[in-house]
Amino acid sequence: MQKGYVFKRILYAIFIFFIVMTLNFFIPRIGVTDPAERYYPPQGNMSEIEYDIIKQVTREQYGFDVSTFQQYLNYVEKLSRFDLGTSFKSGSPKVSDLIAQRLPWTLVLSVTNLIICLSIGISLGSIAAWKRGRWQDTALLNASTISTALPGFFIALILSFYLGFELELFPAYTNPNMISQFDWSFEAIKVVIANAALPIISMSIGGIISYAQGTRNSVIAVTNEDFILTARSKGLSQRQVLYKHTLRNAMLPIVTSIGMSISGLIGGAVIIEQIFNWNGMGTLFLEANSTNDYPLMMGVMLFMSSFAIVANLVTELCYSLLDPRVTVGERR
Amino acid sequence: MIKKVSILWMLFLLGCSLFGCQASEYPRRLDETNTLYVGSVASSFPVSFMPWLSREGVAPTIASMLYSTLFSYDEDTGQFVSLLAKEWYYVDEDGQAIVDESGKIDYDRLEEIYGTSSKTYLPVKIILNKGITWSDGEAFTAEDVYYTFDIGTNNALSNHAGALAWTSDLQHTHRNGVLTKQGIFTYHHGASQQGYFIEEEDADYVLYLHVNKVLGAVTTLFTTILILPEHIWKPIVSVNNQLNSKDPSVDSLHQYKNPVGCGPFLLDVARSNAQVITLQRRVDYHITDDEGGPLYKVDTIKLLLYQELNVAIYALLKGHIDVLDASVSSNYMSLFDQREDLFLSNAEGTFAQTLVLNINPVALEKTPIRNVLANIDFRKALALAVNQDELINRVLNQSGRVMSNGLMRESLVDFFNPTADTLPTNVEERLTLANQLLDTHYPNKDDQGYRMLGESRMTFHILGTPGEQEVISYLQIQFQKIGIEVKYQAKGSSPEKTFLYTSKFDMTIQGVTFSISNVDIMYMAHFVTMGTSSNYGRLANSVLTSKINEMRTTLNLNRKYELIYELQPMIADLYYKIPLYSSNVLSVARIDRYTGYVSVAGSTVFNSESLQNITRVG
Repeated sequence: MQKGYVFKRILYAIFIFFIVMTLNFFIPRIGVTDPAERYYPPQGNMSEIEYDIIKQVTREQYGFDVSTFQQYLNYVEKLSRFDLGTSFKSGSPKVSDLIAQRLPWTLVLSVTNLIICLSIGISLGSIAAWKRGRWQDTALLNASTISTALPGFFIALILSFYLGFELELFPAYTNPNMISQFDWSFEAIKVVIANAALPIISMSIGGIISYAQGTRNSVIAVTNEDFILTARSKGLSQRQVLYKHTLRNAMLPIVTSIGMSISGLIGGAVIIEQIFNWNGMGTLFLEANSTNDYPLMMGVMLFMSSFAIVANLVTELCYSLLDPRVTVGERR
Repeated sequence: MIKKVSILWMLFLLGCSLFGCQASEYPRRLDETNTLYVGSVASSFPVSFMPWLSREGVAPTIASMLYSTLFSYDEDTGQFVSLLAKEWYYVDEDGQAIVDESGKIDYDRLEEIYGTSSKTYLPVKIILNKGITWSDGEAFTAEDVYYTFDIGTNNALSNHAGALAWTSDLQHTHRNGVLTKQGIFTYHHGASQQGYFIEEEDADYVLYLHVNKVLGAVTTLFTTILILPEHIWKPIVSVNNQLNSKDPSVDSLHQYKNPVGCGPFLLDVARSNAQVITLQRRVDYHITDDEGGPLYKVDTIKLLLYQELNVAIYALLKGHIDVLDASVSSNYMSLFDQREDLFLSNAEGTFAQTLVLNINPVALEKTPIRNVLANIDFRKALALAVNQDELINRVLNQSGRVMSNGLMRESLVDFFNPTADTLPTNVEERLTLANQLLDTHYPNKDDQGYRMLGESRMTFHILGTPGEQEVISYLQIQFQKIGIEVKYQAKGSSPEKTFLYTSKFDMTIQGVTFSISNVDIMYMAHFVTMGTSSNYGRLANSVLTSKINEMRTTLNLNRKYELIYELQPMIADLYYKIPLYSSNVLSVARIDRYTGYVSVAGSTVFNSESLQNITRVG
């Protein structure tokens, strides 16, 4: 891999981070110039002087007592110390602490989901491509059409209602004591698996079909290449052709999809978390949004964005390892 | 090899799925204790409970169960109801109660004494209930009330803008942490020096306040401020560790998480977390029922967090919870029909949905079409075209009530003025009258029957949320009948700054709530104050303003009520905020474990009266 290419990608990621950080600061402030007027509207018997004092106190509490530019500088200065600020929640908890509490639970869902989608999706996609035109392929195409038409939250609700509420095969929503009583014991892990089952199934259905469809298309495209014909003419077995030549070359677009999935690991399950009462990053963001908790909102957004930027950077670097033509193209 | 690994992996996943294939235990089904399971739809539960910081979602409800105010307010009667305090009076300059022979406040005498007096305040005497204890066993005294109101006015210690607002009617001020004017007096805080005599035996139960010279001044002080325990907070709070500190000390955090209050319940910290809040009834709560038994009939309340309303509704239907503390849309009614195990509360709503007209935009935003809204005949025609009954049938599936043009609820029988409704009730007659009014001013119509303003069609945009589109669609149909075109315009996430305070709108949908306890504030905000207020259409009517001011400042409660009565037809005749409907609060509870739920105006079935009335089945 070219060092220049790596350096350029890193610089580009830093530039994107800077833009995201700036937007992250300004977007929540659109329409909010004075939190006092939002939280403490003037009372009927209050004098102007009294209300001015109240407004001043509120501005100080919410950090709006200095110019917007100064607020931005303060924000950047804090970020340089990895300080995401304190939430407006009662007790003023640190945003980084709240993220640290929720992140592992989101990763339980999203990483498991990614592993399932990759393993099953790629296997099914390869089979469909290899059996092109037969029932396996037709089934995948039909499933793809159906899953495209069904949004994830709808699948989640249906599964929650039928498998959870009606048939009671799985918990319909997360046990409220799951997180607070988790202690790494076998029983606690069992409870987590039981409660994670429906959310993961809900998330996986669309993901498996999407990966399978992507793999199928990619494998078919590679199968038509000349080097596959060469491999076959050399007398290699079907299995050798599939695993050694076809799949390896078909991986490039799949790696891109994986990169995109990794970048969405943290923020991609907002609705699923909400439906299943799963206290993760998605519900933390919803909570910040519904309570106008700007520091929390900004902290969660920045964390998610940073994660996506790093994931994209790693994907690009992996891509260049798998396909050196990428760095050559970059040089040209 | 790869095939084998794939098969093993698939088997592992299958095993995990089967392992996860076990239903959760829903404890309510097997719980034989006196525990009420309540589903609450919110994005989160609070995990720390300093009462003044609790503003969002379910937090104020929980704070009001753990802590208490001096009084509560009965909207129907306009009376204060005893909580921590037993009774209160205004007093004369000798500290004697201004009451009549029956012990009620004598407002004629009050007006006589203070109406023309040079004093800028009204002295109020409060007598507290005896025998009240904090949840840690300490006695509740007048010093706790002094401490609470004092710190509320002292920003150097509280750092709390809300407390400054709540105590703004108290003439007790601090500057830079130093008391500059005293307006709270107890036995130990200068009562005798001020000329207020308190017997030594009443030292813990009596205090005096100096409040602004308006009748509404006591309402917020009495019913909003949750009283704090002095013995807990005084040793902790300082200028360096304020009550509402951004960086609270370990001691403060401990108190936030282990609240000590005077309310009817206490927090079971060990059985509460971010998704469950467990409240235990206090056996020593000072208010009892008529037979001397506990006021609240459940030993334990378990609040369970649901982040999605549909899931919460199913949880109720399947018996995971007893009550749903959320109002549900009338669209859900078919789910509850013919269910004999459910109690459906169809409580009267306390707010009215109105159509607000931008009748007086700022100079920069004046347009020919908005100028039309300044014409009172035009506004009356719009009011005539609105058929509230049909709106309630079509938009609310009949779960709503007609709102008076005076914008006061009909159920407030002592204050509601029926003469505010002068428009005919017959729909055809209303439309005919509306068209007659418009024909005199805007007779020209285009080929589709819409009225013309000069060369262009008379078209208005109604600012609304996606949820209000159905109402606006109905208004489109109704206004079409009088030749007026209206279109939906999205409000966005911060409509106040973007449209409403800046006059950049024609019409908007606005919810208004007027009650006896809030008219002082709300009439000003909706009809008088310009700028950043709820008077979006910038009504400026000197007669109405003068009457509202008289109502706010009179010291005679009887006169105040008369003025509220007189204001309603005046508001109606301005056709500025046209009432559309008042939607009911629909909520639901199961009756297989508890019965006796009570519907209360403006509340879900999980309300204080239900908790006082329900009985355990079996």
